[in-house]
Amino acid sequence: MDFGFSADQEQLKAQVRRFLDSECPMDRVRQVMAAKESHDRGLWSKIAELGWPALTVPESFGGLGMRWEDLVVIAEEMGRSLFPSPFLASAVAARAIALMGSEGQKSRWLPLLASGDLIATLAILEDSDDLSAAGIGLVAESDGEHVVLSGSKMFIPHAQAAGLLLVAAREHGGISLFAVPADAAGVTVTPLRLIDQSQRAARVTLAAVVVESSDRIGEPGAVWSDLAAVLDAGTVVLAAEMVGAADAALRLAAEYAKVRKQFGHPIGRFQGVKHRLAEILVDIESSRSLVYFASWAVDHQEDPRGAVSMAKAYASQALDRAGEEGIQIHGAIGFTWECDAQLYYKRGRYCRNLAGSPEYHHERLLSVQGI
Amino acid sequence: MDFSFSEREEAFRREVREFLDVSNPHRVVAAGKDAQSDDDVESAMDRLPKLLAWNQALVEKGWVGFHWPKEVGGGGGGLIEQMILKQESGKARAPMLGLSYMGLAWVGPGIIKYGTEEQKRRFIPAILEARDHWCTGYSEPGSGSDLASLRCSAVRDGDHYVISGQKTWTSLAMWSQWMILLVRTDPGAAKHLGITCLLVPMDAAGVEVRPIKAMNGETPFAEVFFNDVRVPVENRLGAEGQGWDVTKHALANERSSIAEVTAMVNHLEDLKRLAKRCRSNGRVAIQDPLVRQRLARMETMIEAMRLTGLRFLTKQLRGHEVGAETSVNKLLRAELEVEIGRLALDIEGRYGSLVKGSPGAIDNGKWQRQALTWPSYVIGGGTPNIQKNVIAERLLGLPHDA
Repeated sequence: MDFGFSADQEQLKAQVRRFLDSECPMDRVRQVMAAKESHDRGLWSKIAELGWPALTVPESFGGLGMRWEDLVVIAEEMGRSLFPSPFLASAVAARAIALMGSEGQKSRWLPLLASGDLIATLAILEDSDDLSAAGIGLVAESDGEHVVLSGSKMFIPHAQAAGLLLVAAREHGGISLFAVPADAAGVTVTPLRLIDQSQRAARVTLAAVVVESSDRIGEPGAVWSDLAAVLDAGTVVLAAEMVGAADAALRLAAEYAKVRKQFGHPIGRFQGVKHRLAEILVDIESSRSLVYFASWAVDHQEDPRGAVSMAKAYASQALDRAGEEGIQIHGAIGFTWECDAQLYYKRGRYCRNLAGSPEYHHERLLSVQGI
Repeated sequence: MDFSFSEREEAFRREVREFLDVSNPHRVVAAGKDAQSDDDVESAMDRLPKLLAWNQALVEKGWVGFHWPKEVGGGGGGLIEQMILKQESGKARAPMLGLSYMGLAWVGPGIIKYGTEEQKRRFIPAILEARDHWCTGYSEPGSGSDLASLRCSAVRDGDHYVISGQKTWTSLAMWSQWMILLVRTDPGAAKHLGITCLLVPMDAAGVEVRPIKAMNGETPFAEVFFNDVRVPVENRLGAEGQGWDVTKHALANERSSIAEVTAMVNHLEDLKRLAKRCRSNGRVAIQDPLVRQRLARMETMIEAMRLTGLRFLTKQLRGHEVGAETSVNKLLRAELEVEIGRLALDIEGRYGSLVKGSPGAIDNGKWQRQALTWPSYVIGGGTPNIQKNVIAERLLGLPHDA
């Protein structure tokens, strides 16, 4: 029994922290917010040089073969810096290929993903915003050799940066997954305008897009449970990012409360302020424990859904609170565009219902227990 | 991260389970579908001999004072085995791991660290064997959250201290043979430095105990008056003026809150069963989306508490001190203790207003008792507001209150 970071993980965390402090200060995040580009290519090539996209790709396919819990260490730091990058979306897509793909598919895509030459993302959700298999209406029609995909996808994270889309489709009464190059004829990517400008997502339309049947990942109509497990692993890194963002919002507010004076004292001396900050810390430490455990559970527990749901539900609460209170503790300046407090709040609003709201995950926690 | 246990630890878990199958006096309750409050099973008087036998069986195993050094009569066990023991006995809904509750929780650790050899010989075996029960003389009418402002005094007179003053909210005072008492011995010193710790027999001349009735109708605590009570100098624990350190150490003893978490896991299980058999608003309560949200939220908080406790335990196993961060779990526990009673009574609907002994009372008023007893867990040992000050000041570096 050992529930803490290893020496290697501490080292990784420190490296990532150093990089983000020097290469991705809030000014850089604000540049990305203002930019029209799909993503910050300069930042992407730097992290590719450092080998980050390779971290969780298996060693036999050009990766470093690290564990999912190692990725959580990084995700937390990225959240702290509101790192504007398709990095995590692409890592989750790589996990899907590594776990569900054939040897041929893995050899074809994983080395490119590991080197950072290719960015991928999962395209699952549709207009219905239904997280279950029932929400997938995009149709795959096969004539044996070719498959024709028709329909549209919604809220696809970082689709505008992706060269490869992993598209879930309805086939044979079940769900199939297809590797679709983003530049295939009939694919249209329409960027969405998000409440959190540091993030990117798009609507993706597939108008009779033709792919080879060898682009099908896994068995026809039978991948939903595997895919759902990959999505859960993605939910854990999202929750880790949220914990990091919440912690940064808390530290920002606490530092302000130490220097801002009213009634002759730093406002951090008043219980009305300090107790709110303490409550946020309780939420952050609690959700951090749940997130770390869930990151271990996705690779070690037979059914990690309960652990994942608890992590995401509590992380949402922590970031909600840190974001909202962070603004209030700053007072009027917290409402300004120039104050960074708003950035964490926006991240919270964006992430709360991403990959399932706390209410969704509470309900799922009971239903996976048969209650 | 590694959540597996070694072969030796798993063997220990099996040993604990086998022991509980035979020796746990509550095993009938645990096997039943819905655990009732303890006193439904048999009256308190019937229970006492069984509880003493339980304590004796534990002593023979070396499982009372499990983590205490062998030299003083403890079990000399490791932190992980201790966790396993607490988890398993909690799951089996066994009585506490030793009946001398305060003795085991704070007094023993204080004596082991600060006591003389004579004090260890005199007090530790009696705590382990449940011959001595202890209460703690900390709070006073004017000193609650600001404990260090206490005024109960002791004046040296030859080889005795003469104590005068008052303590209050003293849990178990009526049933205790001994009190660990904080007194002011140096009124001129800074408030934390003028305090000394004394071990006081409750039958000493001049000690007067007046029970206080709590809102649940029980008398769990008392006022204790000291009218020139004489206590020999050898009953002092630690040096004169060291009382604050002794207390801090004693209160810091249990860090990972495993026993509390196991108790809450049991409550949650019972609540889920309750929600399956009660109807509220025209349907079975477990089908009410709001009840479901609250149950899931509660489970999430309990699991967070369990895991945060394991992070603290890991820190200890790696040789580090665990300090102010334990306030995180204390605050979660406070919120949970209130919500458990609140949710249970909401699930029961109108039946939630029926207490023990009433026609129609559910589980013989067990949940009503919880709803009327939580302050003893939430306020005793430091109010949530004080825990928040601790977090804000020590973990976030915010300015001190006043």
